[in-house]
Amino acid sequence: MGILSEFINSYFLWRDPMIVGAVSGAVCGFLGVYVVLRRIIFVSAALTQISSFGVALSFYLEGFSMGAMSSFIHPFILSTVLTSLAAVFFAMKRDFSRISQEGVIGFGFLIASGAVIILGDRITKGAHDIANILFGSAVVVDPKDVYIIPAVALAAVVIHIIFFKDFVFVSFDEETARLFKYPVRTLNTAILVTIAVVVAVATRALGALPVFSFLALPPLTSLFLTERLKLVFALSVIIGALSATLGYFFSFVLSIPTGASMAVSASVFFILGLLWREVKVRL
Amino acid sequence: MKRRIDDRMANLIRLEDVTIGYENKGILGPINLAIENGQFWGILGQNGGGKSTLLKTLLGLLPTVSGNVKSADGIVFGYVPQSEKFDPIFPVSVGEIVSMGRYVRVRPGKKLTVSDMDQITRSLEKTGILHLKDRTFRSLSGGEKQRSLLARAIAGEPDVLVLDEPTASVDVKGEVQIMELVQKIRSDDGLTVLMVSHFLNTITKYADRIILIDKDSGYFEAGGKSEILTDHNLSKFFGIGTGSVII
Repeated sequence: MGILSEFINSYFLWRDPMIVGAVSGAVCGFLGVYVVLRRIIFVSAALTQISSFGVALSFYLEGFSMGAMSSFIHPFILSTVLTSLAAVFFAMKRDFSRISQEGVIGFGFLIASGAVIILGDRITKGAHDIANILFGSAVVVDPKDVYIIPAVALAAVVIHIIFFKDFVFVSFDEETARLFKYPVRTLNTAILVTIAVVVAVATRALGALPVFSFLALPPLTSLFLTERLKLVFALSVIIGALSATLGYFFSFVLSIPTGASMAVSASVFFILGLLWREVKVRL
Repeated sequence: MKRRIDDRMANLIRLEDVTIGYENKGILGPINLAIENGQFWGILGQNGGGKSTLLKTLLGLLPTVSGNVKSADGIVFGYVPQSEKFDPIFPVSVGEIVSMGRYVRVRPGKKLTVSDMDQITRSLEKTGILHLKDRTFRSLSGGEKQRSLLARAIAGEPDVLVLDEPTASVDVKGEVQIMELVQKIRSDDGLTVLMVSHFLNTITKYADRIILIDKDSGYFEAGGKSEILTDHNLSKFFGIGTGSVII
């Protein structure tokens, strides 16, 4: 009881990061259903790394006088622009000089990961900042994030509600969608860009590790639990939000790194989902 | 290689000196062909012989290497792809899959109307799978999957029904049931049918016009069933005589 009451009494410390974490977990859980169903989990890994690179690059550039460009190098803007450009590139380019799309995505992931570490070595802010970008801190968040992240999440969800049938259609059967003269390329780009923008804002606040885990694990867990597509989306939202919330809670009370705690919470849901599926199959 | 253009009726789809292929590399051509309203075309050939490439070119899904494909204005296709192409990770229900066939008449961002839903229900009834509408597609048998895809194809009220190896994943009984259903739908709705298959007897039993295609030997022959199913063609193409074929 002592730990719980201490936690509740400290609500002014965790309220903002908890809101940011829960909203990020929920919206990443929703968008992650497309990531998992389209079998592009590696895309989300690459986008989170490219987003991290954007944040690291803005920290690095802060050390220089950029004049009129200084507003552009804000971590939020730079990370969003770079991640969105990468998403457009991944959506437009199915093959590149005979290298598969998967190969190009792998290249994007590796070069962004390497660049983050190299830049981290050069950033004046200190090594712990770059560790926070990669693995997540979210102990405290920028007060603006309490507004920015829900606003971005709401915009993404509205777009996905309007085009829900179309996004599912092009994800499930792109060939027939093309036969029906659907704007398949535009719809595929819209799916990836909404994921990219959410990844960019959430990565800056929480770190790459929890964001990647919210995109992959809640949808996979939901697929263990139900055979209904709309319910997969709903459960994924709930599991994403719960993973972030419980992850933050355990991080707070056990004094463990927040991003890692969120990723482990999502993993625990995944294991429970897997066990549920195995038990159901055997009964 | 013989090529024919039949100008007796308004053409739904017309291929003019078309070379088919991938990534600008031609595999067969030039092909001239006219698909007319109400015909049942069977596209016959060995696996890897260019049947699917021809079909996708006819539908405009693949660009031609050279030549033109002309389709009638406002033509609507109902497409039955091979059921194995769908990723079983998707937990979509039969009802959801059949609804997708209606999207040809419902543009992006718009919702299905009550009349769209009625048409979807009629398609489920017509193919005898209304009772399966809440089942997940991945849990169905091969025959049930084909019926679902057929229901999806007719939900859009198409002019042309396109079937890609519709009986590849069903047993003999299922094959007969599927093909009889296709015949009934064709006759009820007055549809033009394009069907790809590597089963000679299925094509010869149901199609009234046949395309024989083999990219490796550069062989392309199209026309009426009696014109195409000659001893010479069957011997050259399959190594059999007309006595082996149910016509």
